[in-house]
Amino acid sequence: MNDLQWNTLVSVVRGEGFSPLPTAFIIDSPWLPNWAGHTILDYFTDDRIFLDDNLKAIRAFPETIMLPGFWSEYGMCTEPSAFGSVSMWGEDEFPFAKKVLRSPAEVELLEKPNPRKHGLLPFVIKRLQHLQPEIEKAGHKIRFAVARGPLNIASFLMGTPEFLEAIKTHPELMHRLLDVVTDFLVEWIAYQREVFPSIDGIFLLDDIVGFVSRRDCEKFALPYLQRAYAADVTVKFFHNDAPCKASAPLLESAGINLLNFGTQHTVAEMKGWTNNRIALMGNIPPRDVLAEGTPADVACSVTEMLSSLDDRSRLIVSCGGGMPPQAPTENIRALIATVEELTR
Amino acid sequence: MLRQAVIEGDVPASVSAARTALEKGVQPVDLISQGISPAMAEVGRLFEEGEYFVPELLMAARATKEIFVILRPLLAQAGSKPMAHVVLGTVQGDLHDIGKNLVAAMLEGGGFEVTDLGVDVPPERFIAAVKKRPVQIVGLSALLTTTMPAMKTTIEAFRAAGIREQIKIMVGGAPVTSKYAETIGADGYSETAAASVDLARRLLAV
Repeated sequence: MNDLQWNTLVSVVRGEGFSPLPTAFIIDSPWLPNWAGHTILDYFTDDRIFLDDNLKAIRAFPETIMLPGFWSEYGMCTEPSAFGSVSMWGEDEFPFAKKVLRSPAEVELLEKPNPRKHGLLPFVIKRLQHLQPEIEKAGHKIRFAVARGPLNIASFLMGTPEFLEAIKTHPELMHRLLDVVTDFLVEWIAYQREVFPSIDGIFLLDDIVGFVSRRDCEKFALPYLQRAYAADVTVKFFHNDAPCKASAPLLESAGINLLNFGTQHTVAEMKGWTNNRIALMGNIPPRDVLAEGTPADVACSVTEMLSSLDDRSRLIVSCGGGMPPQAPTENIRALIATVEELTR
Repeated sequence: MLRQAVIEGDVPASVSAARTALEKGVQPVDLISQGISPAMAEVGRLFEEGEYFVPELLMAARATKEIFVILRPLLAQAGSKPMAHVVLGTVQGDLHDIGKNLVAAMLEGGGFEVTDLGVDVPPERFIAAVKKRPVQIVGLSALLTTTMPAMKTTIEAFRAAGIREQIKIMVGGAPVTSKYAETIGADGYSETAAASVDLARRLLAV
């Protein structure tokens, strides 16, 4: 992300008006490698492909912000790997992290990993260090410390149904699990900031927060999100494209000031639930419209969304979730062009 | 008592209530039709209305599952027939099971017999399950956009095996839409686990 894009992001978060409205997309392994002509496994294993694919996307759509920007990731396996989770790879498939806890009781045996040494985390850091000179030569900086959120990591360690059941049947053990995961997350975020002083944002992704009631969110999500986001950075960005109605009113108290959400709710609803205190990034349907629709469908969806809003402050137009697999160049261009045309 | 225990996802209370009812002479089939099915329908309603969330759904499903451990041998002994036999699985390449597990529990609670083939199920295993014993519905689940095409592959495999017309196929999962279901030749799509019971009934016209 270059300085102009970063400053735009910060201004939106602060509630400053923009004309035209900014657009942004979360880009990562589900979309980027295939779009750029590579397999997902090649993208994960080849630094050059990783750099070239990111630069290709940034240069193809210079008017938009690609978030979090040069995200060194191994899909869902990154953080679970530090806990000893087996990572499963396919040539052009999303990697999968196998669970490590066979029962809630095994939480007692779980040790906090060292982000400097365990799993794939050193590889994440080294990749960015190796590429940092070229990233900066291209006019960009590494701006975000990135991780999966505490509930998301916990759900990979236990299995999602098992974790969600266990918050009902073994709440104390699940608090212990979330404690260990969050202690690790705080260190992982701190380590990323230490290595890359240009980082001034935290980006956490956690759909599991959307699966629980407000009461469970208050007990099992909020305290851990508050700790994970406690560092003093300017942008605290959260992605949850599962339903958000229960969690949305709580997110500000976790320090979150930028939210990418799904298509279950309208921008207007989300503005209401967050008291317009959190900048919103959304929410054109990613799969049905951005990936599978025509450019005309995209333009229509953007027009419909923008015309439904009286207040366009704290808004970044994007899709409701990360950039979906197979989203074609012409549809992305249609989104950007329509926003420019309607909000200039 | 049983109904409320299932709705509240209280597993021990549900099992205890089921045992008590059976001891009092309530027939297993009545326990399902008058206790479990309405309870799971209520759980589904509460989920649809945003009062229940996934953990509550899972707990009710767990309660139902535990009751069926007791009921299954009694039903077999009595020669009771389930409403229909459903074979479920997450399609090949996909290791996610939450949606499929919820659908299994909702269907079982709704009076269907469910054979759960698990995750990463190749087409030939679905076909083998249908050939092994009478099956009315096959349910295919996928959580990933990349594994959705395996639903189409599986449906085509049923066609190639000459048994597509014997069964109804329903599909679901986070990235799946009704449009996609139609495109790949499925008979039905359910957006939520709770709605899968109604869909299964509609497909069988019961």
